[in-house]
Amino acid sequence: MTQDRPDTKRQYDIIVVGGGHNGLVCAAYLARAGRDVLVLERRDRAGGVLAAPELMPGVPAPGPVVSAGRLSAKVAKDLWLDAQGVRLVKSDARLTSIAPDGRAITLWADADKTAAELRLSVRTDGAAYARLDADLRGMARFAARLAASAPPDVEKLRPSDLTNAMGLLRGYRSLGGRLAHDFLRVLPMPVADVVADYVEDDQLRAAIGWRGVRYTTLAPSDAGSAQVLLNDMVGGDGGLAGDMSICLGGPAVLAEALAKAAQARGAHIRLNAEVARVAVRDNRVTGVVLADGEEIGARLVVSGLDPKRTLLGLLEPEVLGPTLGWEVANLRQHGGTSAVLFALRDLPAFTGMSPGAAATRLSGRVLMGESINLLDRAADAIKAGRLPERLVLEAAIPTLLDETLVQGNGVGHLMSVLVHGTPYALRGTSRDGDWDARREALGDQVVAQIEALAPGFGELVVARRVLTPLDLERDYGLTGGHPLHGEPALDQWFAWRPFLGAARYRLPVGGLFLCGSGAHPGGGVTGMPGYLAAREVLAAK
Amino acid sequence: MAQGRGADRYDAVVIGGGHNGLTAAAYLAGSGLKTLVLERRHVLGGAAVTEEIVPGFRFSVASYVVSLLRPEIVRDLDLPRHGLQILPLDGTFTPLDKGYLWRTDDHGATRRELRRWSLRDAEAYEEYALLMVEMARFIKPILSIVPPDPTHIDPREFLPLAGLAQAFRKLPRIQQETFIRLMTMSAAEFLDRWFETDPLKATMSASGIIGTFLGVRSPGTAYVLLHHYIGEVDGAFRAWGIPKGGTGGVSAAIASAAREQGAEIRTEAPVAHILTRGGHATGVVLEGGEEIEARVVLSSLDANQTFLRLIEPGTLEPDFEREVRRYRYRGSSGKVNLALDGLPDFKCLPGFGDHLRGAISFSPSVDYMEQAYIDAREGRFSRRPYIDMIIPTLTDPTMAPPGKHIISCFVQYAPYELDPSLGGWDAQREAFGDTVIDTIAERAPNIRSLIVGRQVLTPLDMERTLGLTQGNIFQGELTLSQLFFSRPVPGWARYKTPLKGLWMGGSATHPGGGIMGAPGRIAALEILKSMGRRA
Repeated sequence: MTQDRPDTKRQYDIIVVGGGHNGLVCAAYLARAGRDVLVLERRDRAGGVLAAPELMPGVPAPGPVVSAGRLSAKVAKDLWLDAQGVRLVKSDARLTSIAPDGRAITLWADADKTAAELRLSVRTDGAAYARLDADLRGMARFAARLAASAPPDVEKLRPSDLTNAMGLLRGYRSLGGRLAHDFLRVLPMPVADVVADYVEDDQLRAAIGWRGVRYTTLAPSDAGSAQVLLNDMVGGDGGLAGDMSICLGGPAVLAEALAKAAQARGAHIRLNAEVARVAVRDNRVTGVVLADGEEIGARLVVSGLDPKRTLLGLLEPEVLGPTLGWEVANLRQHGGTSAVLFALRDLPAFTGMSPGAAATRLSGRVLMGESINLLDRAADAIKAGRLPERLVLEAAIPTLLDETLVQGNGVGHLMSVLVHGTPYALRGTSRDGDWDARREALGDQVVAQIEALAPGFGELVVARRVLTPLDLERDYGLTGGHPLHGEPALDQWFAWRPFLGAARYRLPVGGLFLCGSGAHPGGGVTGMPGYLAAREVLAAK
Repeated sequence: MAQGRGADRYDAVVIGGGHNGLTAAAYLAGSGLKTLVLERRHVLGGAAVTEEIVPGFRFSVASYVVSLLRPEIVRDLDLPRHGLQILPLDGTFTPLDKGYLWRTDDHGATRRELRRWSLRDAEAYEEYALLMVEMARFIKPILSIVPPDPTHIDPREFLPLAGLAQAFRKLPRIQQETFIRLMTMSAAEFLDRWFETDPLKATMSASGIIGTFLGVRSPGTAYVLLHHYIGEVDGAFRAWGIPKGGTGGVSAAIASAAREQGAEIRTEAPVAHILTRGGHATGVVLEGGEEIEARVVLSSLDANQTFLRLIEPGTLEPDFEREVRRYRYRGSSGKVNLALDGLPDFKCLPGFGDHLRGAISFSPSVDYMEQAYIDAREGRFSRRPYIDMIIPTLTDPTMAPPGKHIISCFVQYAPYELDPSLGGWDAQREAFGDTVIDTIAERAPNIRSLIVGRQVLTPLDMERTLGLTQGNIFQGELTLSQLFFSRPVPGWARYKTPLKGLWMGGSATHPGGGIMGAPGRIAALEILKSMGRRA
């Protein structure tokens, strides 16, 4: 797809390791500034998690990642993504929570519409939902400012940090007294407590709280989960309801566009080029060595891989030293998320949902996890290294928004199911087998759980593919299977994401940078780590 | 000394005769203010109280050890002269199904003990301790800071923080890193970075959950690990100790110091409400109807008791009241005090040795601790709880008749709110007590035959008897969102309240709970500053 002409150059200004969305964004900005950039991608296609596997011949899976709703508007504009064919369509329904008894709650893009519907089930929750939405939107505006700039390096403050801090302080004060206090109070709170301060209905609490734990190993009762929700609200327009926008043609179209954006500005991309290590001399990078032994020189190396893979996988241990090696080895990068991708004959029929309502309500994310307690129990299981009795599932059916994704073959719809509650490190694996032995059992459990809510679901499955945390690690290079390159909890946040010594995207080796989701402001298809890292790289000597 | 009663006017009235209220009174009176302390109960001390529940046996009813009593208070109030004596409590013994883990203050012995478990852990333990002492040194000044209001522009409020930020920047990177992890991680995961021995991690992590409704794997529990080391940095005092005469002994010493400074202390004087006029607190009314006027009123109760019970509804701004209601208490612990005919005999280490003299921790594994938490989150007391047991009579034999002993068990988790199907704490109190005894008996079977009396204190009992909302031993959960700027109410962390003349100064305020005395002292100093007086 995006492979360049055979390229035999041996020296570049900058090498970007990993052609995921952040690596491509970073490369595009670097090339735009006139740097001679080479992107090296291990796989046969660029795009990282955006590049979907094939589900069955001719049917691309709806990717582990479906929504591109949080893509930074600035990045999209700077890189002219619309000119590369990127069209996002949004669903009005952002999230529909379905309980075992068939009760459904839909969070719409329009908070007033949600509030009006809620008034019918729990009278007080309508107004309360609108209040919570308004309050959190206010706080998320400030969180957006935090996410839009590189965090300071506390040891080497520079004038721009001061300007930045003053700007942030002004932004903070402009929240006004109540929200300003609330922001500091809410940031370290459990999301379960935040929602309980406003709304009563448990299913509604879980629908909102879910966003504080999605892709993480946190429980809604854990401190820091409110911050995950706030961060997830950055960049989107849905407020509490969140985002559901898909890229027409599938996430691969976005991946392709990012690659083209980089190439159009002069960056080179090499596929099937696995970097074995980063070459270092006198604590400064000199280039990279590929798995086949080929050496390519560069003044600077930017890694879009996760922090552990970058520092423990690509550097010799003596470069890092024992203290830093210990710090990096202890980064929390064990995920609890899997994905099951389905090709379906037809739309699943959820109990209690009329076919007329289904097409609209199911076009958002579909949450199968109806109580805070259920979310808590899923996290208990992840922390304990076992599977919960019931997994929390979030389905997305992109074919409801984009009919062109369906190509016949008896396939009517594609569905991607995010599975929460599957720890990367299973305990007692000797008896129960590891993920390789449990992969299809997990798929069966997911089918059975959906079947319970949508009878006949199993009959609809034409093909499925299960991506366990182990597969996420193997296929996508996500060490520990963490989709966000590391827990987004408060101990790996802001200037100390992934760790304090790596603030401003600089890793502790001269000329080595980090531009992936392991860096501020973290995971999700935003492009922000790539963009912010590029700015730091360009400022480097 | 002031003798006034009835319509007499005081400079300062302190509501609550707990250790913080008494400390504040001693400072206020010491500066020449005519000060009155009003205690609802017949005994002083609040949760730091000694009572003879079983004839001949004097229990530290609630709070049972001293850890962080500020040295400056001991010095300023000359507490040793008033009878304060802290007896060392050495070691932590963790009985297991097979064997035990026993750490003491004897460096060499603990190292040998840990080497039995893991060579790596024995090495790491020293590194860890050194790092923690450095952390404690850094964090200690925070305990005496008046938190700034982050929305204020006044740079003077931020000066102490600027100093701290400067100190932070000068720390070696590993310490900066460690500080951030400490403030944000779970105790279990923080300890995972150093250790592999499960009972060691479980026992150490226990200090992270005390008084909170969090599990050892919940983020935000790591920083309490520091408390042990802050005590060490103080130097003059042992990290952990039992006051002679029980924790009531601390309160008695502070009360004596306060009286010497001229403070008047009344017991059985419950305050019915705080008098206000035009946004000012002007005094208090006792339940008997007696009115007492004062220039300032200092409440050492929690925010819930102070603002929702003692202040007439409608006096406070709705926004403020909502913040007060939002504040989280959810007590999570209980206390079981046993009067014994002899000493417990542990299966894993039979006989009556020094292992009984320190803390005995029922925390065999991290999973055990986590399951105890999960039980509570599901609305019941832990089927196998974490118990921090001490036998104070081995250190201070005067607490029981000769040859008899007392066992004090701090038990977690006992959630204030039980699942409705259980019928409430009044129906579950004895079952809870039985669970604690069953848990002990699994490891020390002779306990059952020794018991001559028992006292079971549930969170509901702590609320009723000690006035702690929802039985929270710290007057409000010590979680990240309820610390510093946000304690006891976001925006009101500077000991003032929206009512002029009404101040807060109990564990509900910065720096929080424990027999520390710091909140009472800082509140008193702030009051004196506002009056233009010196301490």
